[in-house]
Amino acid sequence: MAKLEAKLGMIVDSVGNFFSGKDQLPWCDPDIVAGCEREVAEAGKQSDEFLQECLLRLSWALVHSKRSQDVQRGIAMLEGSLPNTSDPLQQREKLYLLAVGYYRSGDYSRSRDLVERCLMIAPDWRQAVTLKKAIEDRITKDGVIGLGIAATAVGLIAGGIAAAVSRKK
Amino acid sequence: MDSSSSQEFDYLFKLLMIGDSGVGKSSLLLCFTSDTFDDLAPTIGVDFKVKYVMMDGKKLKLAIWDTAGQERFRTLTSSYYRGAQGIIMVYDVTRRETFTNLSEVWAKEIELYSTNQDCIKMLVGNKVDKESDRVVTKKEGIDFAREYGCLFIECSAKTRVNVQQCFEELVLKILDTPSLLAEGSKGIKKNIFKDKPPQSDAATSGCC
Repeated sequence: MAKLEAKLGMIVDSVGNFFSGKDQLPWCDPDIVAGCEREVAEAGKQSDEFLQECLLRLSWALVHSKRSQDVQRGIAMLEGSLPNTSDPLQQREKLYLLAVGYYRSGDYSRSRDLVERCLMIAPDWRQAVTLKKAIEDRITKDGVIGLGIAATAVGLIAGGIAAAVSRKK
Repeated sequence: MDSSSSQEFDYLFKLLMIGDSGVGKSSLLLCFTSDTFDDLAPTIGVDFKVKYVMMDGKKLKLAIWDTAGQERFRTLTSSYYRGAQGIIMVYDVTRRETFTNLSEVWAKEIELYSTNQDCIKMLVGNKVDKESDRVVTKKEGIDFAREYGCLFIECSAKTRVNVQQCFEELVLKILDTPSLLAEGSKGIKKNIFKDKPPQSDAATSGCC
């Protein structure tokens, strides 16, 4: 009995891993997000450059957060600030963070477009390369799941037809 | 599937890499986890890699956190010190300021943000392949390590000299420290059919 439980546990674990996908991107706890928010609030009184740095840290924390509402807010912040970013280094950092945000929110095709733009700017950019691999893994897995669903549907229909045919006879 | 077999490990350790921008933290990590070396773009915020190793007859899962050296990310990276059982302080033997910043900046950061009294520290002098450009002597490294109570090694991510040893020595020392060992066994996934885990105590083991 204990053996069966262990077996079942293993199957559930591996299926869980398959669906949740252990990615190699860092996570951010809510208190880190809160710390960055505080910084931004206090930075208002100082130079604009410092405020920009604080905002970049906050958007990093948001898109890496475990809470989906944070990720959404991070995406909105980055989308809003990208058009006003002229510095090429800041621009590519924001593109990367935006790609992380879309990846975490499950919009893999948009994430892939962004990460490809990053790699066009810097082909050997390690973090972008890792992210691209993670996106492609997810797309493949979703494809496999989709195929499974399609195969099941086809099977059901074929079974239905077969049943109908055999009844007619 | 390999995903389920990789779940089986005896201990989970969190390691952290800190030091000035450009000293080669990410290169060392990449050299250790995937045997490659590149001139890399600066890390944005924090990055991490997982590596499974067998040591002392035990299966270990190492979660290695690689922090940005750039000052503008410092408030972000400081949050990742908590819960680390090992901290790797890296400097570049060809750049004096990366060595002086260890006492000026990085040792202070550890004191402020590390939550772990017994955490093992390791001092790493990188880029020994550029011997003709060396400005920090090996003796200086040894003296620093003695003063701050760290392990010490000199290595090169480019030629891979001593890179494996660097991580191995650190992990062996962690395995040798009972309080860290006890922490390392906490992060292990429980069998969901046997005991329901208590309400997520993410604060104690905040990684992956």
